[in-house]
Amino acid sequence: MTSSPSNKILTVLVWLARLALGGIFIYAAWTKLRDPWLLFAMSIDGYKVLPQWAVEVVARTLPWFELALGLILVTGRLPKISSVAVSALLAVFFTLMVRAYVRGDTIACGCFGPGEQISALTLLRDGSLLVGALFLAAMAFRPKKARFISAADSAKLPDFEAAPHRAE
Amino acid sequence: MKLPVYLLLATLPALAATGEIDRAKAFGNPSAPLTIELFSDFQCPACRQLHMQELPLIMRDFVNTGKAYLVYKEFPLPMHSHSREAAALACASARVGKYEQVADVLFQTQPSWEASGKVFETVASVLTPAEQKKVQTLSKDPGVLSEVERDMQEGNQERVNQTPTMLIIRNGRKYPIGGSLNYDLLRRFFDDLISKQ
Repeated sequence: MTSSPSNKILTVLVWLARLALGGIFIYAAWTKLRDPWLLFAMSIDGYKVLPQWAVEVVARTLPWFELALGLILVTGRLPKISSVAVSALLAVFFTLMVRAYVRGDTIACGCFGPGEQISALTLLRDGSLLVGALFLAAMAFRPKKARFISAADSAKLPDFEAAPHRAE
Repeated sequence: MKLPVYLLLATLPALAATGEIDRAKAFGNPSAPLTIELFSDFQCPACRQLHMQELPLIMRDFVNTGKAYLVYKEFPLPMHSHSREAAALACASARVGKYEQVADVLFQTQPSWEASGKVFETVASVLTPAEQKKVQTLSKDPGVLSEVERDMQEGNQERVNQTPTMLIIRNGRKYPIGGSLNYDLLRRFFDDLISKQ
């Protein structure tokens, strides 16, 4: 397969982002699942955006969803679905955290278990994760040809899919 | 053989003093299934809300019923100019058995003394003249000041990063809860912990 240096770098970056985000999601799920779910429910309730019944549903299900998403990311399966799901989830988390920070609410983030207050640092961390997730989504939805060959390569290999193992 | 005995004798007064101080700032049954360590700042509005709204419910449902042992811990934040003074006065008041009354008046009138800086005058309003003198002297006592420091160090060790923070201790496991609270969820959480052996 032909691949330019920039494509190799992108491939490595996608691989790293996938493993990092997957690992972080698995860790985030574990920090919530090891404690009673009511503890996470109190963190969610602090944001004051959901009625209590919805808080309880989210507190019981979100950690399992995070775990599943983390495992899918680590294994590299369903790249389009997983990257969109992780981007959407992080976009929601980030929006809620920014809202709470701007309002001056002294609430727990709830990101990695209890006891972590929302701060500029937590926003920077979650913002960086969101950027990583959006990068993964952009790469997953990139046209297939563009994912593997640069413009220069494509001039030499007009039909990459038809000749994937052609030597230079 | 003699040295360990001397060392033990030397540490006894300090241990006794620590126990005395802790008891003066603690409520409920020390052998209750739950221990709640409340890290709080007298100048923090969220601490005021907890003290005036949720804490009476916690006292009613868990502390007074022998299910929880509540221990106050001072955690004055550097951003609050009168917090440390208030914490020292509260700890000094604990030594004359008036911690609860002083904590109540400090939280109830927080906006007033926060603006005027009249912390001692506020504390004095719930003390007798004799207690006022004693508390004023004690609030500058190195022992009392080190007690505030010790609470803060303990909070830092427990990675307390906001006030109020409740550290719930059950069977050696610690669960930190910070910020604003939903009492219904908190009550269920406590009941859930108590029901687990």
